[in-house]
Amino acid sequence: MPMSVKDMRREFSGREELIEYLREQFPEAEGEEAGATRGGRAAAERALAGVDPRRYASTRNFLDGAVTRLAPSIRHGVLSLAEVRDFVLSRVQRANDASKLILELGWREYWQRLYAQIGEGIWRDRENLKTGFRPVDYSEDLPDDIVEGRTGLACIDAFSRELRQTGYLHNHARMWVAAYVVHWRRVRWQAAARWFLTHLLDGDPASNNLSWQWVASTFSSKPYFFNRENLERFTGGRYCRECPLKGKCDFEGEYDEIAARLFPNAAMESAR
Amino acid sequence: MNPDRNHERIVWVHGDCLRPGNPALRARPDAPAIFCWDDELLREWKISFKRVLFIYECLLELPVTIRRGDVAGEVAAFADEHGATGVVTTFSPSPRFGLITSEIEKSYPVEVLPEDPFLDYPGEFDLRRFSRFWRQAESYAYRGGGEQLKLW
Ligand SMILES: Cc1cc2nc3c(=O)[nH]c(=O)nc-3n(C[C@H](O)[C@H](O)[C@H](O)COP(=O)(O)OP(=O)(O)OC[C@H]3O[C@@H](n4cnc5c(N)ncnc54)[C@H](O)[C@@H]3O)c2cc1C
Repeated sequence: MPMSVKDMRREFSGREELIEYLREQFPEAEGEEAGATRGGRAAAERALAGVDPRRYASTRNFLDGAVTRLAPSIRHGVLSLAEVRDFVLSRVQRANDASKLILELGWREYWQRLYAQIGEGIWRDRENLKTGFRPVDYSEDLPDDIVEGRTGLACIDAFSRELRQTGYLHNHARMWVAAYVVHWRRVRWQAAARWFLTHLLDGDPASNNLSWQWVASTFSSKPYFFNRENLERFTGGRYCRECPLKGKCDFEGEYDEIAARLFPNAAMESAR
Repeated sequence: MNPDRNHERIVWVHGDCLRPGNPALRARPDAPAIFCWDDELLREWKISFKRVLFIYECLLELPVTIRRGDVAGEVAAFADEHGATGVVTTFSPSPRFGLITSEIEKSYPVEVLPEDPFLDYPGEFDLRRFSRFWRQAESYAYRGGGEQLKLW
């Protein structure tokens, strides 16, 4: 069948030419960055072949741990969850060696099932906040210094740049950024969730919004937050070492001290 | 009559199922297939350039005609062009998928094939919290297509 004038191009001499064509076709798409991650089944299969379920289990919380980076392919159905599971099971002697990774695949399945049930409800608070604040106490807009990576916090600024440049953030970095934005800066999670959806190659309304709600405490029994010691440990200290705010940043202190600072009303409630 | 213009069904491929072996493409390997960029969604989500590129690279490995505009309208137009009697696609939980499907159904019947299941269990799970869900679902997650493994 001859190509219709409406058809978009399929033949390119290489990635450069494709990029040039897409810049013309999608001038409204945000940002200059192309990102290094290749899309497509061939690249996804190569990534899958590199998955090591046992190393994953012991290192996944570390920024340089053996995470799979399969999320963009899973999110767009380039790999089905079932295929990933079958492959992972084929790589281990005992199912137990795969259980950590399969649990994480289970999270994806869970969010998707919930999405099928609640639809656009993922954009609304699932439950009341447990922070002692009301929704109106949170700002509607995401501050520019966060988006532009100039808060002065070496870790947060690096994550913001990485998000914009690569479209990927490690799970732990997503949690830290989300906690910073929602609890330390007191921004509505929806504003920040939209920012993530713009940039994450795996940006998925269900996984993303419900994870933000989990951090915010509108879909969990308590807010998620962290301290510098935790971040320093799982990043191997790479940000703290060069951070001008080291020793005096917002994340210093024990958990109960931080909770008292962040959630003074909630702390009073639970002390009563 | 040009045989190219007389297909029973066309396949609609959307952004939640970009693999060559997705259920719809598998069911109709010889049918003409279309992917349509959703103008409204691009506007609403402000998808960054790197996401557009990633998705486009996925599309280049699929046997699809690529278009852009109002998805339901473009899919129906594509079915017209091919003299098709219906549309086949793969399920997505996104509400927008439901809206577009109902819109296409004003002109063509749409067969929605289920995604390949991760949990081989026909019933419902308790979704109030992940921990409850996983308590019920975990054992099904290990029943893959591959050989059965010793659990612990
Ligand atoms: C604030 C926040 C926003 C998030 N937004 C998204 C999003 O838009 N899309 C997305 O796919 N994930 C999201 N996640 C979940 C998780 O961070 C990513 O799936 C994971 O970091 C992707 O990297 P990976 O492929 O290397 O993961 P791995 O750790 O290697 O995990 C393997 C696969 O399991 C799935 N998975 C792992 N953890 C989770 C999880 N907590 N929830 C759902 N699926 C999971 C993913 O498909 C992932 O590819 C978000 C988490 C947080 C805290």
